[in-house]
Amino acid sequence: MREFIRGMFNVMFRGGRWFYLWMGLLTLLLALGVVGYIIQMRYGLVITNMREQVSWGFYISNFTFLVGVAAAAVLLVIPAYLYHFKAIKKIVVFGELLAITAVVMAMLFVFVDLGRPFRLWHIFPLWGSPNFPRSILAWDFLVLSGYLFLNLFAVVYIGYTRYMGKHPDRRIIIPLVMLSIPWAVAVHTVTAFVYNGMGARPFWNASILAPRFLASAFCSGPALMLIIFQVLRKVTEFEIQDKAIFKIAEMIAYAMGINLFLMLAEIYKEYYTATEHLTPMKYLYFGLDGHGRLVPWIWTAMVFNTAGFFLFLIPKTRKNFLTLNLGCLLIFLGVWIEKGIGLILPGFIPDTLGEVYEYMPSGYEVMVSLGILGAGGILYTLLVRTAIAIDTGRLRHPEAPALTHEEEEGPLARDIMTKRVISVTPETPVEEIGRLLVANRISGVPVVDSDGRVIGVVSESDIIFREVYEEPHLFERVASIVLPPEYRAMKKTGAYARDIMTTPPITAVETTPLRELVSIITEKKIKRIIIVNEREEPVGVVSRIDIVKALENISL
Amino acid sequence: MEKDQSRGLISRRDFLRMTALGIAALSGGGCGDLWRDRFQEMSPEEIQDLLKRWEERYKKRYGVDIRVKATGPMEGVLFGYALDLSRCIGCRRCVYACVRENNPSRDVQIQWIRVLRLKKGEFRLEDSEHYYNPESVPEEGYFYMPVQCQQCERPPCVKVCPVKATWKEPDGIIVVDYDWCIGCRTCMAACPYRARKFNWREPALPKEEINPDTHYLGNRPRVKGVVEKCTFCIQRTREGRYPACVEACPVGARKFGNLLDPGSEIRYILENFRVFRLKEELNTEPKFFYFFSLGWA
Repeated sequence: MREFIRGMFNVMFRGGRWFYLWMGLLTLLLALGVVGYIIQMRYGLVITNMREQVSWGFYISNFTFLVGVAAAAVLLVIPAYLYHFKAIKKIVVFGELLAITAVVMAMLFVFVDLGRPFRLWHIFPLWGSPNFPRSILAWDFLVLSGYLFLNLFAVVYIGYTRYMGKHPDRRIIIPLVMLSIPWAVAVHTVTAFVYNGMGARPFWNASILAPRFLASAFCSGPALMLIIFQVLRKVTEFEIQDKAIFKIAEMIAYAMGINLFLMLAEIYKEYYTATEHLTPMKYLYFGLDGHGRLVPWIWTAMVFNTAGFFLFLIPKTRKNFLTLNLGCLLIFLGVWIEKGIGLILPGFIPDTLGEVYEYMPSGYEVMVSLGILGAGGILYTLLVRTAIAIDTGRLRHPEAPALTHEEEEGPLARDIMTKRVISVTPETPVEEIGRLLVANRISGVPVVDSDGRVIGVVSESDIIFREVYEEPHLFERVASIVLPPEYRAMKKTGAYARDIMTTPPITAVETTPLRELVSIITEKKIKRIIIVNEREEPVGVVSRIDIVKALENISL
Repeated sequence: MEKDQSRGLISRRDFLRMTALGIAALSGGGCGDLWRDRFQEMSPEEIQDLLKRWEERYKKRYGVDIRVKATGPMEGVLFGYALDLSRCIGCRRCVYACVRENNPSRDVQIQWIRVLRLKKGEFRLEDSEHYYNPESVPEEGYFYMPVQCQQCERPPCVKVCPVKATWKEPDGIIVVDYDWCIGCRTCMAACPYRARKFNWREPALPKEEINPDTHYLGNRPRVKGVVEKCTFCIQRTREGRYPACVEACPVGARKFGNLLDPGSEIRYILENFRVFRLKEELNTEPKFFYFFSLGWA
């Protein structure tokens, strides 16, 4: 226990200069928020700019936005890594930690919005009197708490087992992670339904609301994750491939495309029919009789979202880290406006009796909101540091078995390769290679030069191709037609290993981790990798079946 | 009274109350919000205790003897309201009679009735004027429409409340349990008539302006951070009196009565005049009717 406390102390309070600076900044924000909230507790919500006409404002806007972040952090990251159990323990944990942080922040925003915060327990099942099944807000509280608990349980379980030097049981983790996917959709849908179900507010009472919520959430949450991944990659030993980052960016582009389409569909419907229900939208985009405080905000959001969409749609800008990060920032801010104040406020403007009361958050509301931002930042930083400390073994039960190399990297090529290597020379006849393959029940052999270095590979398919196509290359076929026959005669193919071997050979060294072998094999679409020593002599072969065996036998 | 989970649960509630008490004690006391005072699940004896506690509290706070009643609904009564738009002159006497009667905050001002001024020939709420302030009313070319809680038969505010702090009484009045409301204001967002008001700060109620005849679910003084609304003057109407706004109206535009009584004035109006209800397309079924008794006003 003492060890644990000391370890946690190190995680929380020991770090470099940047760590102290970052935490100092966040603590400052938190302090600002605490001061603001104390003033609000003392004088009441009158210190906000909310009034009878606009009874929800900045707090509820941020709540709505953060529910989206929480949902999408998990939604986009998990499916991408589900097949890769090892990655779930790392990358998905960061996604789930972000979901936890975002849900906590969202709940804090509701808490500070309450007139009687200490009566919040009235909504707890059993203890209070939640209005089931009629009140969507009661449901929202339940699904949000459930979501928090689900993600918390998953990461605490992974963290605890790793802390004790054991392996998390995939029979527990995989179902939890699978469950969190539909749950994330539910969390967001139910939150949308809180607004959606109000006949009094035509701006919210559109069936498109929940789908739009999901589409825009798929933009903001992952955009934040991309930035966080890059920061983690820089300041810690956490690895994530560029490829994964670009893939997520591509998915954001599609989500943003859908979001923009749904927005245009909504704008068309309201403007073409032009009924009374158009008024809130008119207020939002163009202002009403000189009241137009939201107009610059929503157009900023439109420009940001559209620019971000194109930055992520075009492969060139998507794969450039400068434009990629710019896109993340634009999309995050764009969605924050669109789904925050851009969604909540027009519900109230004009109000149900036709009055226009223009709302912008008061200084206190901004203070309290910054405080929650600070709290969220501190929470996420500490959670991530704990996760990394556990992962690298810095935070570990004193009696837990020592962290082995294998545990860190997974098995290496030398642990899983077939060590008996049969090789041939470039002069070995193809018929003999065929006999070798059949006799040894192997699917390919390395070709070595006179110094024993690997220069190519002959596989079953090379032999089959020779049988099927006597002249396998298009150029050669063209040549055979165009060129005079005497040239054709010179090109007698397929007699020896050198004629049919695949070059250059794809090789790896003995210490290459399994994870990398998997990605080489899937990327190059090959069936085996020749493992070579430092003199490029073949010392083993890792074939697909070796990898399958490795994935089956060892619990990663 | 709608007693959704009264009996059988008393022991559980006592247990919860002890827990709350323990927590309150641990947290240094004074956390009244951790106490479980939920009107709807209390026995008549408990309600009597509760009313006494509040009378003592008000005495301490204001130095005035305030009576807190919990008069129940009358059998066979469903309250309904009718407002004659052809007679209303927009004087706002109802607004101030309501304020005097129902003990709302004077600063910030909370008013349960809002009178809209509309141009003759139009009926668009968006074009209504809420802050008209002429030398004298009525003004040429305008008519007036007072709006207050419409006491819907299908109230959206009750539906959305996450903690059952607001409900429809058997006589049709929508009430709020000020001691149970968490102040989330979802009901305000759901109400199509802007009938619900929030105590953005500690209500300022000078003791010389207090109406000491109060109802637990109605006009007893409120606290910071809870929602309140028109209750058809529950403290009066459950004792057979008219709401304050009806009494105050100088032109007799406001009518009130029992919808279930075939001989009532309100039934006469429904049967003999053309009436309409505000935003009827929302299916909230208000028990507040507007009508026109005069063709020329």
